[in-house]
Amino acid sequence: MKAFHAFCVVLLIFGSVSEAKFDDFEDEEDIVEYDDNDFAEFEDITEDSVTESPQRVITTEDDEDETTVELEGQDESQEGDFEDADTQEGDTESEPYDDEEFEGYEDKPDTSSSKNKDPITIVDVPAHLQNSWESYYLEILMVTGLLAYIMNYIIGKNKNSRLAQAWFNTHRELLESNFTLVGDDGTNKEATSTGKLNQENEHIYNLWCSGRVCCEGMLIQLRFLKRQDLLNVLARMMRPVSDQVQKVTMNDEDMDTYVFAVGTRKALVRLQKEMQDLSEFCSDKPKSGAKYGLPDSLAILSEMGEVTEGMMDTKMVHFLTHYADKIESVHFSDQFSGPKIMQEEGQPLKLPDTKRTLLFTFNVPGSGNTYPKDMEALLPLMNMVIYSIDKAKKFRLNREGKQKADKNRARVEENFLKLTHVQRQEAAQSRREEKKRAEKERIMNEEDPEKQRRLEEAALRREQKKLEKKQMKMKQIKVKAM
Amino acid sequence: MSANNMSDPRRPNKVLRYKPPPSECNPALDDPTPDYMNLLGMIFSMCGLMLKWCAWVAVYCSFISFANSRSSEDTKQMMSSFMLSISAVVMSYLQNPQPMTPPW
Repeated sequence: MKAFHAFCVVLLIFGSVSEAKFDDFEDEEDIVEYDDNDFAEFEDITEDSVTESPQRVITTEDDEDETTVELEGQDESQEGDFEDADTQEGDTESEPYDDEEFEGYEDKPDTSSSKNKDPITIVDVPAHLQNSWESYYLEILMVTGLLAYIMNYIIGKNKNSRLAQAWFNTHRELLESNFTLVGDDGTNKEATSTGKLNQENEHIYNLWCSGRVCCEGMLIQLRFLKRQDLLNVLARMMRPVSDQVQKVTMNDEDMDTYVFAVGTRKALVRLQKEMQDLSEFCSDKPKSGAKYGLPDSLAILSEMGEVTEGMMDTKMVHFLTHYADKIESVHFSDQFSGPKIMQEEGQPLKLPDTKRTLLFTFNVPGSGNTYPKDMEALLPLMNMVIYSIDKAKKFRLNREGKQKADKNRARVEENFLKLTHVQRQEAAQSRREEKKRAEKERIMNEEDPEKQRRLEEAALRREQKKLEKKQMKMKQIKVKAM
Repeated sequence: MSANNMSDPRRPNKVLRYKPPPSECNPALDDPTPDYMNLLGMIFSMCGLMLKWCAWVAVYCSFISFANSRSSEDTKQMMSSFMLSISAVVMSYLQNPQPMTPPW
């Protein structure tokens, strides 16, 4: 009796528990076949599962909380049981079950196939959504570039300034012994030596010297490399270029009439193309100076042979030979007017102004890697300049040479006039028409009819006179031609 | 008398004042780099409102123009070009704070 009572109580308890569980299920399957656990719905309704289910009931009840989560931290025995369930459930795929609860377990064969169908691509978080300085690497690069540019500007500027000062310190004594005025920027009221260079740019420095016999003045221009511009510095790495010192002296009116140049072949070819006077007066190609003892690197452009003979005296040859590597070009001319001016409307109507000039272009040794001490090497070249100034004044062409020179200059002028003849005619014509129009307007504006009539008559008489004159001229030309 | 010594070539009575050469007669000798860079800088500043890298190039152009400029040139123009390029950069980032993407 007591045993029966106990059994009934147990049955009742189990019944109440399973009823609660049955509420979850909506299946119409036999209740007896469902086990009293969360996994009952996943189980196969087969004999194997029935026989094993009592085991499951005992073991899985303890782990109800863990079943919905990933299967981590469970007992090995549990896993063993689940594995059994896997194999069983793999057999009966038709059995409906919740896929989510067994991720990674029963879907091991399935996930591989599903991966082939639907690949999961893991995408990086876009850069602009990341909150880190690393994503702004391009901006940092840009700012670094700017800072590098500024640093190079400061360093380059300082280097050029030091080189200019070194040059001036080296040459100051020689210049002050030859010129009264050393250094002038043109702004002071009185002509006093400033004693310093004019800075035109971060890489160009000027110095004006004046007050010497045989010379009106000398402008020295130190054309350094653009060390302050990083782009230029990088470009120079491909193509080494030297700093240059240019000296332009305006000589006295006493200088005789000739055009002459000596320098490197490349420089002379360029000058011949660019310079007005060299292209007009020295039409031949640059000749080698070997005849006069010059090195092969130097060539000569001259208006006539006599000038070359006269210029290439011993001392000059000595200067040119010893310092050939530093000489770019030496250009003496009484017809110097600068480079050819390319005007859009055609030839200029007037010949450009000419000046008697000696131009010297020297290269600073070092090919760009110049140091202040290299400036001392240019001092002998300054002596050459001084010597040339004195020589240019003293040198005189003989009678033949002078005639030839005059003929050349007349020829150049004639050519120029011919070329511009048409333009000058047009200009004269337009001027005449303008005058006529002004006259007519004046007549029209005149209010007094009497005065108007008189002015008209006067204009008519003038025209008739002009026509008569023209006719006379034509007759004279015809007579001459006959 | 020492000043008029034969060995002394100096002549104080022959002093000529310095006259800066007019730039119109030698336009080819003048370096056009600062003017070109100024113009490029302004164009890139305008484009910089649409594209970030244009604004940065404009800043570089204004720096290059400044480095190559002549001392006689107006500093006001340099400053205005520089300010324009900086404002282009600032405005493009205010409008769109995302980092610049490389074109490749």
